Amino acid sequence: MSHHDAAERDLDILETHDTDVLAAFEGDVPAGTRTPAALSRRLRHAGPAIIAFLAVVVVWEALTRALDVQSFILPRPSQIIERFFATSGQIWGAGWNTLIEALGGLVAGTVLGVGVALATVRWVGLREGLMPFAIAANSVPIIALAPIMNAWFSITSPVSKMAVVAVVVFFPVMINTARGLIEVEAGELELMRSYAAPPREVMRRVRVPHALPYFFSAMKVASALAIIAAIVAEYFGGPQDVLGQYIIAKANLFVYPDAWAAILVASILGIALYAAVLLAERLVMPWHVSFRASDSS
Amino acid sequence: MSASPTQPAHLVVEATGVGKVFGGGDGKVEALRSIDLAIEPREFISLIGPSGCGKSTLLRLVGDLTNPTSGTLRVNGKDPHQARLDRDYGMVFQKATLLDWRTVAKNVELPLEIMDVAARQERAREMLQLVQLGEFAGHYPWQLSGGMQQRVAIARALAFRPSLLLMDEPFGALDEMTRELMQQEVLRIWRETHTTVIFVTHSIPEAVFLSTRVVVMSPRPGRISDVITTGLAHPRNEDTRESRDYYDKITEVREALRRQERGAG
Repeated sequence: MSHHDAAERDLDILETHDTDVLAAFEGDVPAGTRTPAALSRRLRHAGPAIIAFLAVVVVWEALTRALDVQSFILPRPSQIIERFFATSGQIWGAGWNTLIEALGGLVAGTVLGVGVALATVRWVGLREGLMPFAIAANSVPIIALAPIMNAWFSITSPVSKMAVVAVVVFFPVMINTARGLIEVEAGELELMRSYAAPPREVMRRVRVPHALPYFFSAMKVASALAIIAAIVAEYFGGPQDVLGQYIIAKANLFVYPDAWAAILVASILGIALYAAVLLAERLVMPWHVSFRASDSS
Repeated sequence: MSASPTQPAHLVVEATGVGKVFGGGDGKVEALRSIDLAIEPREFISLIGPSGCGKSTLLRLVGDLTNPTSGTLRVNGKDPHQARLDRDYGMVFQKATLLDWRTVAKNVELPLEIMDVAARQERAREMLQLVQLGEFAGHYPWQLSGGMQQRVAIARALAFRPSLLLMDEPFGALDEMTRELMQQEVLRIWRETHTTVIFVTHSIPEAVFLSTRVVVMSPRPGRISDVITTGLAHPRNEDTRESRDYYDKITEVREALRRQERGAG
């Protein structure tokens, strides 16, 4: 729907490169179809992206070999893959701890964001007083708060990292959900008025379903931000067995292929979280316009 | 002008000197001035007139979507606000305003859920049959054509059996062929359900074909200039559209609209 597009557009600035690539082939894929024809259609859609990815890896490998690039500047993909498997126990262990921080913060930030969004519908004063600040806060680098959170919630506790993630996630989720709840078509509200529907019913049957696409747009951004925020928060200190500290430690020792292997884990976690949001979106709103099978393909 | 001899208690709508002014100060716009109108049960009333004549505003006043600034307005002998709380109104707008996330059947069930009516599925099925969309119950709105969506909107508006159906240019966005089919449908439904209908349109043939009475309105400020009884026999069908009486009535409404243009200079 056009509302959804608008929500997507507003989030463009926040979208990271990874999510853009995924979003590119998210639109036309029919949902819930598991026939061979559907599978082959799916592959055909994904084809160009897979080819592009492989091409980048091959060119990267070829250039780093041909130009004899030092591994501390840019290791070869083959080196990274080798270290990825050689250190898998360590990096996945660190990855798990980082994921817990990211998830904890994502859940807390989302719950708070949705809660405040619901409140802004109920209390117009709150909306008018809060929204300008929320939109302003959304455009400042909140990640800079990480050292403060370390001070507030103890640097050794994962809670300090979760707090950073929660604050980073809060604003896009709150702003977009509030927009979805508020920007309901006037005609739909008049319809509910003609039924003499109480506010609770309007919320439940019109506003919340209407806000779902906005919410999921925000969650796609938030899921990527959560991993980023967790790792950046880890750079400011804390326990060693997390991705941020692992990457710093390896970089300090000039073992760059190991650092890159950990970055690969971080990327996989980010993509997995994003994919989980996509899956949830499809399960929660199978009716949505972006999942409609296109007859043309 | 439209004072009928019936007892007021039986009237579905009774407007006496109703006026509506939007805004205040320099931005003040008088949308309606001294509207007198009495509508009896089972009438089919069309409101017709040029843009800005206040026909939609009048409909919205009756439906308690906005309040009059002067005069008195009664619906089923009650204040329009009370009539709305009593769920006396079914409304159909120019846009079907179906909820995208609900199937056709679930859209028809929406008012029933809110009003906590029992046997919702049966009622929805019944209503969809009435608008001849029985086999589309499981479809989503985007899978239907504009005309079909509007029929779902009508089914939804009638699902809780309101005594008064308010329709604001419901066929304005449809092509001519679909429009004529829909008019036929609405007449059939009106006769089967015994609902009173107020219908806003700017199509003269549509107003004449559908209505028992056509209320002709003029702009700046919006007021009623003529009330024309059509008197065409029922059932009305394709033959009606080619009949002499039908053309005569169209001419009569057209001349009423022309007269006010001349009057306005």
